[in-house]
Amino acid sequence: MISFLLYVMRRLFQNTKGNLFPNLATIGIIAISILVFSAFTLISVNLTSFLKVWEDQIEVMVYLEKGVPLNEVEELLKNTRQLKGVEEVKYISPFDAMAFLESKMGGQKSLLQGIQPEILPPSFEIRLEKEYRNPIKIKELISQLKQIPQFEEIQYGQEWVETFSGLVHTVGLTQWILGGLFLFAIIFITSNVLQLTIASRHEEIEIMHIVGASPAFVQIPFYAEGIIQGLLGGGLAISILYLLYKGFFLYIPPSIQIWLARIPILFLPPWVILWILIGGMVLGFFGSFIAAMRFLKYNV
Amino acid sequence: MIQMNHVYKTFPSQKFALSDITLEISEGEFVYVAGPNGSGKTTLLRILFGAEKPTSGEVIVNGMDLTEKNFHKVYSLRRTIGIVFQDFKLLKNRTVGENIRFALEVTGHPREEAENRVSEILPWIGLQGREGDLVVTLSAGEQQRVAIARALINDPPILLADEPTGDLDAQMTKDIMGIFNSLHRKGTTIVFATHNVDLIKRFPYRTIVLLDGKRVDGRRKEGVRAEG
Repeated sequence: MISFLLYVMRRLFQNTKGNLFPNLATIGIIAISILVFSAFTLISVNLTSFLKVWEDQIEVMVYLEKGVPLNEVEELLKNTRQLKGVEEVKYISPFDAMAFLESKMGGQKSLLQGIQPEILPPSFEIRLEKEYRNPIKIKELISQLKQIPQFEEIQYGQEWVETFSGLVHTVGLTQWILGGLFLFAIIFITSNVLQLTIASRHEEIEIMHIVGASPAFVQIPFYAEGIIQGLLGGGLAISILYLLYKGFFLYIPPSIQIWLARIPILFLPPWVILWILIGGMVLGFFGSFIAAMRFLKYNV
Repeated sequence: MIQMNHVYKTFPSQKFALSDITLEISEGEFVYVAGPNGSGKTTLLRILFGAEKPTSGEVIVNGMDLTEKNFHKVYSLRRTIGIVFQDFKLLKNRTVGENIRFALEVTGHPREEAENRVSEILPWIGLQGREGDLVVTLSAGEQQRVAIARALINDPPILLADEPTGDLDAQMTKDIMGIFNSLHRKGTTIVFATHNVDLIKRFPYRTIVLLDGKRVDGRRKEGVRAEG
């Protein structure tokens, strides 16, 4: 087994040395393909993460009709707390609303002088259970809330939720469509470069067949070459993406940096990096497998 | 050791390359396959080492039935057969030692064992001390000796030779035939394809004659030992 591994490594070294430029070109093209896919993955990861952060803060505001008696408000509060998906309900009286408004106006709160708090409607601030903080589940709760006649208006940033989750979905879809296209591109490129390698070592392969080398001895070095090309291409892509990610923070204006400080911009998680590297290796293997199927048939 | 029963071989857009070939070669025998160019000698040898599948008929070599179902195991058969070609089929940019050692390395022998075996075989083919020479620097006869050494390094019981002296002058041919005769005396079964009648006369052994893919030596009933 050890002698076989040494043999594979020796052949691998000879093949790489003998076809250095085509090998480097393959690694480069694989790297570019994986880089584009990884960039979309990075965008998708960050948008999903941002959506999750935002979803965690999602709340529903319900405005009650004016003049609902206090005892009825208490009853409504009790009923709302019992609805499925509701974690916490806070009653905001017109006075609380006015105080909040004044605090928001800051130095311009004098503009509110003379305005009676009663003009503001009382409201419920509804905090949702974790599994209800998404566009689909939230609608289930909203439809229940709409059946209560004392609730005049319900706000939950519906458009924003739907637009943003649509964007996340589109980026995810683009990522996988590109992934599919690059999958074929990588297999095609690896397969063609290995065909060149095989052609350049035609005499050697012919002699291997003549002297009775097993298919494993003939083919495995080429499979290993494809796998290593995929691994190096993937590794190079991740490294470039990391440099671009770091460069992004270095070269953005300070004003945007302050804004970005509130949003966590993540790099690819380790398990995604691992899957990209494994994916590169698997694609490299398939490329070499196709080349071997076509050009390493056991014959002389 | 080698048996062919009613073997036919056709190629697309060609008449029979081999037609109804029946032969038997015993262990330790030296047999010529003779005939003019295009008579089917090479095709016959290629069938014997599994490079071609017979269109029909039965081929048994060293106990292996070379039919369709066994064809994927042909590499194990080739480890028991040494093959020598007219054009040597050597790796030109490698040394004598590397060329011979290659046959052992790619069949799973440890490097140390391969090096020892190469050291043992070089004096036998008259190339002692030439292990590090690039094969391109050797004469044609010396290159053929390297090819023979590579064919024999696995110690195969059968040696197939396809016009091995075709490109060699008289002296080199004599040297190479000396190696083949020596192998024959050691008990190796040799099948030697040639169109050189003088060679057969000088080194007479049983001869199977092919013409247009058919046996025409009139000795189709096996067991009769023919003289060249």
